[in-house]
Amino acid sequence: MISPAALERPGHWRTIGVIAGVLIVSSPALPLLQLAFDGSRGFDIGAGFDTYLARSFKVGIGASALALVLGFPCGLIAGLYRFPSQNVLLALLALPLLVPSFLWAIGLSMLRIELGLSPESLLSGALGTVMAFAALGTGLVLFATLLATRALAARAIDAARLAGGELNVLRYAGRATLPAGAAACLLAGLISFADPGPGQILGYSGAGTQILVSFAALFDFELAARQSLAITGIVLLGAMPLLWILGRHLSYALLPQSMELMRPRSHAAVSGSGPFLLGLVLMITLALPLAGLVWPAFTQLWLERIAEVAARTAGNTLFYGITAGVVATAVAIPMVICATRTPRLRLALLVALMLVFVLPPAVGALGAILVASAAPAWLDPVVRSRFTVAVVLGLRLTPIAAIILLRAMGAAPPSWAFSAAIHGVGLMTYLRKLLMPFLARPVAVSIVLVGLVATADTTTVLLLQPPGRDSFPVAVFTVMANAPESMVASLSLAYVVAGALAASALAIWFNTERSGSGR
Amino acid sequence: MNDRTLRVVAALVGLVFVSSCSESPDARSEVVIYTSVDEIFARPIAARFETETGIRVLLVPDTEETKSTGLLNRLIAERARPQADVFWSGDPVRAAILKSRGISEPYQSPQAEDLPTLYSDADGHWTGFSARARVLIYNTDLVPEREQPTSVMDLVDPRFRDRSAIANPLFGTTSMHAAALFQVLGPERAREFFERFIENGGTIVSSNGEVRRRVAAGDFAIGITDTDDFNVALLEGRPVRAVYPDQDGMGTLVIPNAAVLIAGAPNPAAGRRFIDFVLRPETEQALAESEAAQIPLRPSVPAPERVARLSEIRAMSVNYTTLGDELEDLSAGFLADWVARNSE
Repeated sequence: MISPAALERPGHWRTIGVIAGVLIVSSPALPLLQLAFDGSRGFDIGAGFDTYLARSFKVGIGASALALVLGFPCGLIAGLYRFPSQNVLLALLALPLLVPSFLWAIGLSMLRIELGLSPESLLSGALGTVMAFAALGTGLVLFATLLATRALAARAIDAARLAGGELNVLRYAGRATLPAGAAACLLAGLISFADPGPGQILGYSGAGTQILVSFAALFDFELAARQSLAITGIVLLGAMPLLWILGRHLSYALLPQSMELMRPRSHAAVSGSGPFLLGLVLMITLALPLAGLVWPAFTQLWLERIAEVAARTAGNTLFYGITAGVVATAVAIPMVICATRTPRLRLALLVALMLVFVLPPAVGALGAILVASAAPAWLDPVVRSRFTVAVVLGLRLTPIAAIILLRAMGAAPPSWAFSAAIHGVGLMTYLRKLLMPFLARPVAVSIVLVGLVATADTTTVLLLQPPGRDSFPVAVFTVMANAPESMVASLSLAYVVAGALAASALAIWFNTERSGSGR
Repeated sequence: MNDRTLRVVAALVGLVFVSSCSESPDARSEVVIYTSVDEIFARPIAARFETETGIRVLLVPDTEETKSTGLLNRLIAERARPQADVFWSGDPVRAAILKSRGISEPYQSPQAEDLPTLYSDADGHWTGFSARARVLIYNTDLVPEREQPTSVMDLVDPRFRDRSAIANPLFGTTSMHAAALFQVLGPERAREFFERFIENGGTIVSSNGEVRRRVAAGDFAIGITDTDDFNVALLEGRPVRAVYPDQDGMGTLVIPNAAVLIAGAPNPAAGRRFIDFVLRPETEQALAESEAAQIPLRPSVPAPERVARLSEIRAMSVNYTTLGDELEDLSAGFLADWVARNSE
C-alpha cells in the first residue's frame, strides 16, 4: 500500500512528472516542430522575419502595457471592495476571454469605417492592433489581479487598514498582487505573438502573419515550424529577465497565504468610483469594438440564420468546450501534484506551459493531422473525431487549468497527508475521500473556464473538425468574407450575448460557491 | 457543497465519454466536401444535392478573411489517408497545386462534355464550372463618370494616387491574379506594375472583402476584387460600381470554380456523384441566381440580367494548368519579397 505521505516528500518523481506532463501538453505540436530540423536548409527562418518579429514586439509590449494600466487597478478595486453592478461589469469585462480576437479587430475596423475616420486613425494599424489585443489582455490582468487580491490573508489586510487606512490597504494589496498582474500582462503580450488575426485585419502584420504566409501561401510546413520555434526561443529570451524578477514572487503568489482569506467589503468612496472605473475600462476596451461589430445587426437581424447556425453547431460547440475543459484539468492535476510543493518546479512548469501556449494553434492542429494520417483507420474514433479536436484544444489550454489548480493544491496543508499516513489510510483512499473532494470546486472552475475559452478557438476547430462538425465561432468565421455585414453582425451579436450569459452565470455561480463555502 | 460540485464534475466527464464513444466515424451514404467557396454560397448547393440524392453532405468550408491556415494545408497534411472526397475550389490554382502534389485523382465527368475545355485540366484532375471575374471596383462618390477606370493599369495611374487598394497577393484570388499578370505581361512588366503600384501610393489590404468594404466606405477610390464581393456591396446599397478591366487589351481574368476528386477518397463513388451534380447546368444557374452572381461557363444557361455572359467579356488568355506551379514560385520569390517590403 502506498502511503499518502509520499505526495508530500521530495524526490525525482516530481521532476519526472512535470517533464512528462509538459511532453504530453506539447505532443500535438511535436510532429510539426520536428520538421524544423529536417531538410537541408539549416535553420533558415525566411528573409525579413526579423522585421515582423520587431513589429510583434511593439504590439506585444503596447498591448501588455495598456492591459496592465487598465486591468490592474480594476482588479485591485474589484478584489478589495464590493460595489453596485460589480458582477455585471466583471462578466462583461470577461467577454474578450471568451470571444475570438478577430471579432474585436473586425469590430474596430467596421467602427472606423462607420465613423468615417481615416485609415491612419487610432482604430487601425499598429494602435488598432494594440487595442484589439489589449481587450483580451485587460481581462487577463484584471482577473489575475482580482484572484490574487482575494487570496490575500484577512489579517494582513486588517493590519494594513489599521496602520494607514484604505490607502495603505491599496498600497499593500497592490504590492502583493503586482507579480500576478504582471505575469498576466506578460501572457497577454505572448498571445499577441501567435495570433495573426487582428494584425491582418487592421493592417499591421507581425510574426504570426509571417507564419501564416508560410503555411497558407507557401505551404511550407518546415519554414513555419522553424519560425514558430524561433518565436518561442525569442519569447523565452525576452521573458527570462522579467520571469527572473517575478519568479519567486509569482510562484509564492500562486499559493494562498492563509486559510482565512480576505473578504471584500463595501466602502463609500468606492461605491461610486468602482463602477465608474470598471465602466470606463469597459468603454475603452470593449464598447468600441463591440459597437462596430454589432451595429449592422440593428439594420437587419438575421434571426432565422442565427437559429439555423445555432441548431447546427451548438452541440459541437458545447462538446468541444466541455471536453477541452475536462482534458486540460485532467492533464493539469498530476503535473500540479508534482510541482506544488517545490517553488522551482512551480516556476519551471509555468514557464514551460507558457512556451507551449505561445506556439500558433495551427502548429498543434497540423501536427495532430499528420499523426492521424499516419495512423490506421481503426484509430479514427480517437485521432479523427470531435474528441481529437477537444484533446488538442484542452492540451493547449492546460496552462489555465494548471494556474487554477496550483493555487488550490497549495491550500491543501501537507499535514493532511501525514495524518492520513499515520492513521494507515492508503493513497487511493486519501485521494478519493479527501484530496479530490477538496479540489472539486477548483476542478469545476477549471473545466468551465477552459471550456469557455476553448469555444472561442477557430484555427484548431477549422483544421481538425470532423467533416460537418464545426463550432459556432467557426461558422461565423466561414461566412464573414462575403456574407452581408448585417448577417455577420447578427451572428457575432448572438455569440457575444451567449458569451456574456455564460460569463454572468459563471460569476453568479462563483459568488454563490464562495458565500456557500464561507458559511 | 463539495459533494454537489463533485457530482457535476462526474456528470460532465460521463457526458464527454458517452459522446465520444457514440460518434460514428464514417457512413457509406455520406460525402465529405472541403470547399474554399464561401459557405453561404456552397451550403445551398450541398443541400440541393442531399435532397436529390439522399446522400448526406458533410461540408467543411474555409474562409479568405483573416486568412485561416486553410483547407489546402489540411488536404496536404491528410495526403497519406484523406478524409475528403471532393475539394470544391473557388479557383483553379488551388486545384492545380493539389494535382502537382499528387493529392487529386483524374475524373472525366459526363456532365463536363458541354463545358469549355479551356477552363479545365487536360488530364481531368480538375474541372472548371461557374466563374467569377476580377473586376475594378470604384466608389461613385469619389470617381466621376469621366474618370471611371478601365484597366488594371489604372491602379498605377496618377489620377488615383494614394487612392487605390489591392488585397495581399499571397492569398486567395489576388494571388492567382498576380500569377496571371506575370504569365500575360511577362515577368518584367508584371514586376514593374507591382512596383509602380506602391510608388503611386497604393495600399495592400488583408482580403478582397476588405477592398470591397474600404472602397465602399470611401477609404479608397478604386480597388480590384472579385465579382461576388462587388455584388455584396451592390446589394447592400453601397455607392460602388464595377468595371471588367482591359476589355480593349489583355482582358479580364476569369476565375472558374474547380471540382477536384481527392486521390484515395473514402467515398469515391459519392464524390463522383457530387462532382457530376455541381457540373450540371442547373448548378451553374443556381450560382448565377445567388448573391454570388457567378458567370455560367455554358452559353446556354440562363442567368439574371445583372450577371454578365462569358461571351460579353473579353477574357484574359491564361494557361490555367500551369498557373499553380508558377504561383508557387512567385509566392516564394517576388511576391513574398514585395509584400514584405511594402505591407504595413
